[in-house]
Amino acid sequence: MLIEILQQTINGLAIGGVYVLIALGLTTVFGILGIAHFAHGSISMFGGYLTFFLVTSQGLPVLAAIPVALATGILLGLLVEMLAYRPVRHANHINAFIVALGLTMMVEGINLQLFGHEQVVIPTGLSRVFRFGGITVPELRLYVIIAAIVLVVAMMVFVERTKTGQAIRAVAENRDAAILMGVNVKSIPLIVFGISTALGVAAGIMVGALFAIAPGIGEGFVVKGFAVLILGGLGSFPGAILGGTVLGITESIAAGFISSAYKDVIAFVVMILVLLIRPQGLLGRTP
Amino acid sequence: MLALRDIRVSYGAIEVVHGVSIDVAAGECVALIGANGAGKSSTLKAICGLVPVSGGSVQFEGRDITNASGHAVVQAGITMCPEGRQVFPQMSVIQNLRMGAYTRTDKDQDADLARMMDMFPILRERQSQAAGKLSGGEQEMLAIARALMARPRICLFDEPSLGLAPKIVASVFETLAQIKAMGMTILLVEQNSMMALNLADRAYLFEAGKIVMAGPAKEMKSHPDVMRAYLGH
Ligand SMILES: Nc1ncnc2c1ncn2[C@@H]1O[C@H](COP(=O)(O)OP(=O)(O)OP(=O)(O)O)[C@@H](O)[C@H]1O
Ligand SMILES: [Mg+2]
Repeated sequence: MLIEILQQTINGLAIGGVYVLIALGLTTVFGILGIAHFAHGSISMFGGYLTFFLVTSQGLPVLAAIPVALATGILLGLLVEMLAYRPVRHANHINAFIVALGLTMMVEGINLQLFGHEQVVIPTGLSRVFRFGGITVPELRLYVIIAAIVLVVAMMVFVERTKTGQAIRAVAENRDAAILMGVNVKSIPLIVFGISTALGVAAGIMVGALFAIAPGIGEGFVVKGFAVLILGGLGSFPGAILGGTVLGITESIAAGFISSAYKDVIAFVVMILVLLIRPQGLLGRTP
Repeated sequence: MLALRDIRVSYGAIEVVHGVSIDVAAGECVALIGANGAGKSSTLKAICGLVPVSGGSVQFEGRDITNASGHAVVQAGITMCPEGRQVFPQMSVIQNLRMGAYTRTDKDQDADLARMMDMFPILRERQSQAAGKLSGGEQEMLAIARALMARPRICLFDEPSLGLAPKIVASVFETLAQIKAMGMTILLVEQNSMMALNLADRAYLFEAGKIVMAGPAKEMKSHPDVMRAYLGH
């Protein structure tokens, strides 16, 4: 029983890491621009598809394909900010909302056109399985967990310890005051979209390597990403990290002990229960 | 040092500052006084690039900075301590102070940080606390210290005494006097006209978006119109 719980916790950590990476991107974008960036999931999966394409059709080693996909992610983030969201910056909020929905459909369409409707799995060639006591950990899953931790820590250090990271926080908390500190507030959304999309692409690659990418998967992840934000407490970085991990582990345990068919239901039931007790989310501030 | 010439500020179709000219010389402390809604804050915001100037010009140290973007104004050496303090509420006191030095790249930032905390011991005591948790007076001290962290050549203060208890107001003005004594050039907007005129070298009186009187602070203080309308005599 204990072994089984530990086993599912390890499994849950991998998918939880994916949720955290998606949620961190969503929460930074939301914090700065107040936009619910629904297209984030589909763009993330584009990164996964791209990695698959580079490895299978172009014969690139996975370790070479990943940086190319991440760099493409940064570039896509910049383009999305400049072409999609900047024009509606000063318009009514509903405009950005419609842009976000339209962009999601567009990116899903592009993914379908470019990569087809078959599900794809990024071949990594990592097939070893480690055993710790009674727990088995596939090598790939371990690397995904480590990569997720490294990226999350890097993001925390960036936001807490660098001037640019602090400027991002400052703009989210008080835009005018940030201008008075000398922050160039035009460049901040670009930086935020670049970084967020790169984190999303990393998550897309993880999904493609661990599970599979198929049409519609990205939308599922973005819904989970927003669920994580609400679960953890809107606008809270530690909340997104805790929320994503909790959601991943809950799902995994639900799948292991009850049925994988119900894992989403159970995850959302847990979320609703948490919000009934703590409406502000796990680490959210009391309003 | 700072010269506004006939500047106009509008919100949409409504003009609220109708051609205002102000000069501040290096080392001087200049006060803008006047009733609510007279356009004092709008004038400061226009200098800082927070609202557009719709007419006239802003010169700083001989350079034209009319409608320069906010961060360019800060880089030029102008920093504002805004109305209502506007600290970053969830960032710690230290992080707020460091944001003040955002445009600086020199090595003295840590030394300045220590200096600010010597000047405001309460900030050292509360250094890792979220700024939003401080009292109003403490937040004002933080906002002042944060503005000084930029090492500006001129510092604009917009109603630093707003909403504070009389005792705290006195200590805010003591602080301003201290900053003035350090040689800082100051442009101060205040509702508390008596305190402002006591501190300032010169003053301008705003009424409905125009300057209706200007002169040395001492003379303004004893002018019958000012006394009646703003000093409550
Ligand atoms: N963002 C805004 N949009 C529209 N009108 C504004 C805005 N900000 C200020 N105003 C108007 O501009 C006029 C001048 O306001 P301003 O804040 O500059 O006055 P003030 O002299 O600073 O007053 P106070 O002493 O109350 O701070 C007021 O009539 C105010 O209603
Ligand atoms: Mg004002």
